[in-house]
Amino acid sequence: MTATATPARRTAPARASRGLWRDALARLTRNGPALLGMFFIVVFVLAAVLAPVISPYDPIAGSLANRLQAPGTAGHVLGTDLQGRDELTRILYGARISLQVGVISVIMGLAIGGTLGAIAGAFGGAVDNVLMRMVDVLLAIPGILLAIGIVAWLDRGLPQIMLAVGMTNAPIFARILRGSLLALREADFVVAARSIGATPLRLLLRHMLPNALTSLIVAATLALATAIIDVAGLGFLGLGPPDPRTAEWGTMLTDSTKYLREAPYLIFFPGIAIVISAIGFNLLGDGLRESLDPRLRR
Amino acid sequence: MALLEVRDLVVRFRTHDGTIYAVNGITFNLEAGETLGLVGESGCGKSVTNLAIMRLLPKPAGRIERGSVTLDGVNLVALPEADVREMRGRDVAMIFQDPMTSLNPVLTIEEQMVETIVAHRAASRAEARKRAVELLGMVGIPHPETRLRSYPHQFSGGMRQRVMIAMALALEPKLLIADEPTTALDVTIQAQVLELLQDLTARLGTAVLLITHDLGVVAGMAERINVMYAGFIVETAPTPELFARPSHPYTVGLLHSIPRVDADEGGELVPIEGVPPDQRRAPVGCPFAPRCAWRVEACWTDNPPLVPLEPVSTVVATGPGATHQIACHNPPLPEEARTGRPTRPGFVAAPPPDAVFDELAVAAPDLEGTLVEFPTNDAREGRR
Ligand SMILES: Nc1ncnc2c1ncn2[C@@H]1O[C@H](COP(=O)(O)OP(=O)(O)OP(=O)(O)O)[C@@H](O)[C@H]1O
Ligand code: SF4
Ligand SMILES: [Mg+2]
Repeated sequence: MTATATPARRTAPARASRGLWRDALARLTRNGPALLGMFFIVVFVLAAVLAPVISPYDPIAGSLANRLQAPGTAGHVLGTDLQGRDELTRILYGARISLQVGVISVIMGLAIGGTLGAIAGAFGGAVDNVLMRMVDVLLAIPGILLAIGIVAWLDRGLPQIMLAVGMTNAPIFARILRGSLLALREADFVVAARSIGATPLRLLLRHMLPNALTSLIVAATLALATAIIDVAGLGFLGLGPPDPRTAEWGTMLTDSTKYLREAPYLIFFPGIAIVISAIGFNLLGDGLRESLDPRLRR
Repeated sequence: MALLEVRDLVVRFRTHDGTIYAVNGITFNLEAGETLGLVGESGCGKSVTNLAIMRLLPKPAGRIERGSVTLDGVNLVALPEADVREMRGRDVAMIFQDPMTSLNPVLTIEEQMVETIVAHRAASRAEARKRAVELLGMVGIPHPETRLRSYPHQFSGGMRQRVMIAMALALEPKLLIADEPTTALDVTIQAQVLELLQDLTARLGTAVLLITHDLGVVAGMAERINVMYAGFIVETAPTPELFARPSHPYTVGLLHSIPRVDADEGGELVPIEGVPPDQRRAPVGCPFAPRCAWRVEACWTDNPPLVPLEPVSTVVATGPGATHQIACHNPPLPEEARTGRPTRPGFVAAPPPDAVFDELAVAAPDLEGTLVEFPTNDAREGRR
């Protein structure tokens, strides 16, 4: 009865299916702050990826003869540091460390926290209770303190830093995912899916997780901002990459504090870099929160 | 044997602030192809009854404490979860109140419909897809081929409810439970959706349990009506009989609290005063007593059972000839049912059987002149 009727009129696709994600993207591109955030992130990522292309200098070796050149000096837009290394080059290479550690630590956090949260949210009951008490304990410890503890325990090194920062985010992700899953368990459409015979596994994978994903994406974006700050924090506290010459923003800050009077720009530029990249992810995260709201009010 | 047999069903919730007595022992049958209305005001246990039948009560709070639900001879209460799952969608399906939230926002209609069909039948995805198109056409969605690929948010509320109906009927279940299927819709859309529902279920021979607080909706749809109050069925009768001879004070109250077109029937607007009882307390006496103008002393202590209005040799449970039954110690006379208040000379509703009476006596002057003189729940609260 229907198959015969449709081909005749192909003219009215009503509202064409633009897809959920594309709708969200459309909303995002109308969000000013989020666009600014994306701009900062693009600058940050380009700096990280293109560092060797942009800069002819070595970020690690410098010549002492060249030290403490003021910003604007020919060949050194942002000046040089105590060891005579080009500051811009070090900022660019610093972005690499921050991006690398940020992304990998958030992925680690998602893997650990996401698994815990999914198990707790899917099973509920006693399993949920035990896991969430563990998460509570982790959450009670201030993130940077937890990270310091882990690095102090496992020794310095990039993988350790990634794990440390990842572990500070894991309980947050676990909590968010579990919360969404528990709320979704009673959601109308999940009960509706159950009412037509969907299996628990299908409910979790097809109905609950995809809907919980949006809040996790938002949290992960915001976590990137904290990760960047945490990495710098560890570096600032002397728990950065094992090679002290590595261009890392937090370490660069520490190295320059003693020369605050002579070369304030050595504090200023890494500081700005940290702030801008963190703000970028924060703005994008907030924008995503608004545009990804799954209960779209059309 | 009837298609659905609910026997002495008791459902309670264990929550942080105590037990909630949601459904307190209800019994009714539903014949194949029959449409039964379940009416009552908010909180009387309609949805809980529905969820209990579907075995979808929120865990671990909600529990079936007693009774049985038999569908096609199988007692669902004792059935393992895996078997219940098999039965859901295939033998019994449901439609929810809010079509805006009962479809998964991140899946297309196609994904949701095909999934349902494939999960139950050994149908290929292509076959399932064909069936989905057919179903969408059947519920009156234009361009079903195209619309199948849409997301729920691209449909209006009425259209979504049609999609829900299509999904619920996809496997041609024997029983469809519709919980306030039109409450969330515009009035004009409501009528269309109800008509569609009636049309399709009649054609497919589906039995319908129609849950609503709207007497107008059941009047047009249901062949029989159960009136629920505070987790009890207080009156049951075939629809024409119920409207012609409402015999429980609560039913009388319901009929008098909606404006009727045939107003000269003696139907004056008499709102039901007070609020339903607090279901956190175990029911004692007739649950309607605090609001009832007909109550006698026994009402405060004895909960009347559901019995035939007139003596009959055998009680008929289903069909157009079903026995009219009520649960009441002092049913309104037909004349009183028409006017909506007791008219027997000298009749005064029995006061509560304890000290509260004195307080009420003091407060009584305030009540003078009002039509219905009885303490509301607030007054009873004073006991605690
Ligand atoms: N998940 C729950 N936890 C605790 N109590 C509940 C829960 N669901 C329902 N109840 C209680 O059970 C009783 C019956 O609720 P139910 O939802 O069946 O009412 P209803 O007749 O469907 O009302 P409405 O017309 O508002 O839908 C109410 O007192 C309600 O508070
Ligand atoms: S007369 Fe008594 S039993 Fe009947 S409804 Fe009123 S209170 Fe209940
Ligand atoms: Mg309800």
